[in-house]
Amino acid sequence: MNKKVMALLTASVMAASFGAMVSAEDIEINAIVAEYGQNTKEWWAKFQEDFNKDNPGIVLNAEVVSWNDIYTVVNTRIQGKNAPDILNIDVFADYQADDLLLPAKDFVSEETYAKMYPAFLEQSEIDGTVWAVPDLASVRTMYYNKDILEAAGVDVPTTWDELLKACEAIKAYDDSIYPWGIDMTTDEGQAAFAYYTWNNGGGFVDENGDWALNSDKNVEAIEFAVNMVSSGLTNTDPANETRYNLQDMFGTGQIAMLIAPNSLPTYIAAGGNEVNYGISAIPSNGTDSVAAGVMDRFMCFDNGYSDEKLEAIKTFFDYFYEDARYSDWVLMEGFLPATSAGGEAVAAADESMAAWVEIVGSSKFYPTAKAEWADVKQGVIEAEQRALLGEDVKTVLDELQEDIAG
Amino acid sequence: MKNRSLSKKIGPYLWLLPSILLMTIFILFPIFEVFRTSVSKISKAGVVKGFAGMDNFTKVISSTTFAMVLKNTLIWTIAVVGISTVLGFILALLLNNEFFGRKAARAVVVFPWATSLIIQASVWKFIINQDFGTLNTLLMRIGLISSPINWTPSPEAYFAWECWVGIFVTVPFVTFCVLAGLQGIDESYYESATVDGAGFWQKLFSITLPLVRPSLTVSTVLNIIYVFNSFPIIWTITKGDPANRTDTLVTYLYKQAFYKGRTGEAAAISVIGFLILCICASVYMVLSLRKEEADE
Amino acid sequence: MNNTKKTTSSKDKTLRVLLYLAVLVLVLITLYPYFAMFTTALKARSEIYAKNGTVLPIIWHWENFVDIWKLAPLSRYFANSLLISGGATAIAILCGIPAAYALSRMKFKGKKFFLGLVIVSQMFSPVVLLVGIYKIMSMLHLTDTLMALIFINAAFNQAFAIWLLRGTFMSISSEMEQAATIDGCNRVQAMLRVLLPVAAPGIVTALIFVFINAWNEYTVALTLISTDVLKPLTVGITTFNGYNMIEWQYLFSSSLFATLPVVILFICIEKHLVGGLTSGGVKG
Repeated sequence: MNKKVMALLTASVMAASFGAMVSAEDIEINAIVAEYGQNTKEWWAKFQEDFNKDNPGIVLNAEVVSWNDIYTVVNTRIQGKNAPDILNIDVFADYQADDLLLPAKDFVSEETYAKMYPAFLEQSEIDGTVWAVPDLASVRTMYYNKDILEAAGVDVPTTWDELLKACEAIKAYDDSIYPWGIDMTTDEGQAAFAYYTWNNGGGFVDENGDWALNSDKNVEAIEFAVNMVSSGLTNTDPANETRYNLQDMFGTGQIAMLIAPNSLPTYIAAGGNEVNYGISAIPSNGTDSVAAGVMDRFMCFDNGYSDEKLEAIKTFFDYFYEDARYSDWVLMEGFLPATSAGGEAVAAADESMAAWVEIVGSSKFYPTAKAEWADVKQGVIEAEQRALLGEDVKTVLDELQEDIAG
Repeated sequence: MKNRSLSKKIGPYLWLLPSILLMTIFILFPIFEVFRTSVSKISKAGVVKGFAGMDNFTKVISSTTFAMVLKNTLIWTIAVVGISTVLGFILALLLNNEFFGRKAARAVVVFPWATSLIIQASVWKFIINQDFGTLNTLLMRIGLISSPINWTPSPEAYFAWECWVGIFVTVPFVTFCVLAGLQGIDESYYESATVDGAGFWQKLFSITLPLVRPSLTVSTVLNIIYVFNSFPIIWTITKGDPANRTDTLVTYLYKQAFYKGRTGEAAAISVIGFLILCICASVYMVLSLRKEEADE
Repeated sequence: MNNTKKTTSSKDKTLRVLLYLAVLVLVLITLYPYFAMFTTALKARSEIYAKNGTVLPIIWHWENFVDIWKLAPLSRYFANSLLISGGATAIAILCGIPAAYALSRMKFKGKKFFLGLVIVSQMFSPVVLLVGIYKIMSMLHLTDTLMALIFINAAFNQAFAIWLLRGTFMSISSEMEQAATIDGCNRVQAMLRVLLPVAAPGIVTALIFVFINAWNEYTVALTLISTDVLKPLTVGITTFNGYNMIEWQYLFSSSLFATLPVVILFICIEKHLVGGLTSGGVKG
């Protein structure tokens, strides 16, 4: 901070005395970006090089941090009064609650802002202001092993009843196969909560947007999932087997069906497996099937910027969301775009992505804009795990609701 | 003369100075920060919002999970340190014998000690997995079992495995401490005891144990501190899951701080853990310093 | 107990067989994780998750050991670990020797207090202090540097180093130093020329302990270092157990690589290990 102020002061004093003769000092932008996969680091290294070359006077420093470390890194930075200028992560409400962020319109040019899907921008809205812009999305739906379903003589399930029947048929056909994969781990157990409650007409919030974690629909949904585990229709240890374990087991035919993101085929192929798989909507119970969307964002910390620096940050976003570069970014790790132009570009570049772009438009997202989200996320995971240990679902969800909203 | 007495007074502190500086900056200051944080109101993103008094402590202690975590921590510390000490002692007795391949055996015993905890924990997590772990594969290929066994059917089973890994990595340290003690024992003690007709157990309890006791005390005290504060094993294998059933204080506070963003409560937990260890340590210190004074 | 004399009674023979058996079982159990690591490191991911798994790889993927060097900057991780452990050891011992000397040879006010401080500093694990550690590091502009890890490892191992060195020094009679002082040496010279050579085994033990602890440290490095090329091995290899994948084969092949130097070091100095602990431990 002090250094920057000093640098600015020096620069302005020098500019005043020498007039236009002296070029202003380089503006430095510090960004922390999430590592999505094996290609992310290389992509950002190239982006940084190109950006710095094309934008003289601005020095971008993009730090790629793995998802394992990123929350720790960012929080300790904030506590050390050393927040990054730009951050690429999934959540933003905690930072907004501390007045650490700038509104999106302040740091993204109008032209770039207009490119984003409005439905996506809404996900980052608190009190009528949008605080972050989406950088990419991914969507979860059901994958099934065609060979196993065929051998067991069942059709692709679309409702919960059909799902149970299909699972039982698969188990009867070969009891060394887990018919259904469930992940309720600390890493991603909130996803399971979303899959079952959303597809039972429930969810994290009610129609007014208030927390409704213990609704009857939710209780029924979690009971359904936990019953599947206790009847032996799923992998045995959902509290400890992460989605990656499940994906690999799906890849080798140990699991017949699971809910996974659109990047699953790439993941399986990279592991050296070949599966004859199909994709279908997540089975639902008396409602339309809801696909689960996950969205990540860019946000900008309010570090007291000069006008020049704010312009530089806008330049960064203009550069990032340039259509060709942006679709390259999205395709790099097999994600889905968050801008309409990007959507068209991606659909054109890769035919198999077109269907996904369609699905992502109609999927539901976690209520990450609500300040209690971090607690809710850990809370539903704990509730699921307690239910797995045999506690009453209604009781644990009542306790959670009381804890969050009570 | 005057100059000399002054240097004599300051002298010892100069010798201590580098060490004091190092520990003050990098340990005492962070400890001070933790105490300050434990009585501060801190937002999710880590911004200090003022003084909180004992609020963080009340919140921590009033949660039912905390009692369970505390119990786990005690079980974990006592089980790992206790069993490691007994096993390490026995192993040291074994290895103190002359036999063919003794050198090789001692070299192998060093392995778990020389391996990073995070690596040991990852391997064991992999070994015991029901679906793709190597233990089931091995037993099935040998023909001991016909279908995969679920080694971790309950939280308690997970916790037992974690204790096992803890023991596995702690035993070598105890063994080598005891071996050090054993080597200092004069052979003549045993010879005269044999002449007096003492049996194995008698020799063990009247000669070996009393003489290696200092080494055992040292290893036990250090192990209590290390094991109590141990993070990587539980973090790697279960992250304290399911539902905090395998959490110890350290993993619990890490989750409070970095998963739930409750920095203040996390700091309160570390202060509580610190106080518990302080009580243990002061007991030890009073005993050992008193003994040292008696020796002098 | 110390069965050094050869006896031939049948009871002794059974004991002998039992001894071998016990040692054999222990050795097998100890080596099993390394066997599991080694065989898994040589499998393809599809084989690791295969339904009818095999103990040994069907196809031995030796290239896994080559691939890890391309997938992650392992040689950088390795160099960082060496720098951190080496630097931390040097600082811990250089600060520890004078402190241990003063504690074993001099009488002064506050000695007990300092010994108490040493024990207290052991109480807190770095995990617990992360927030405080981060704060001091950002004040010193040391976040995301190897320097930070060097200091932290030196500081958190300081207590153990002092404790070991003090024990060693106390077990050595001070008569020779006194004689040297009469011959005109000052205290520093007496310590350097007379005490330290005699105390060498104890010092080596302390060196090794600090080095190993620093080499295996995980949590602080995880928090303080975010730049990939500055990570030590312990943190670097967990990239293979990350958010986007679990590559057991790479995790284990790099783990073996990270473990090997330490195991070799330990085996080489195993004798010293016991020697140093004897002098340090019995008196400590």
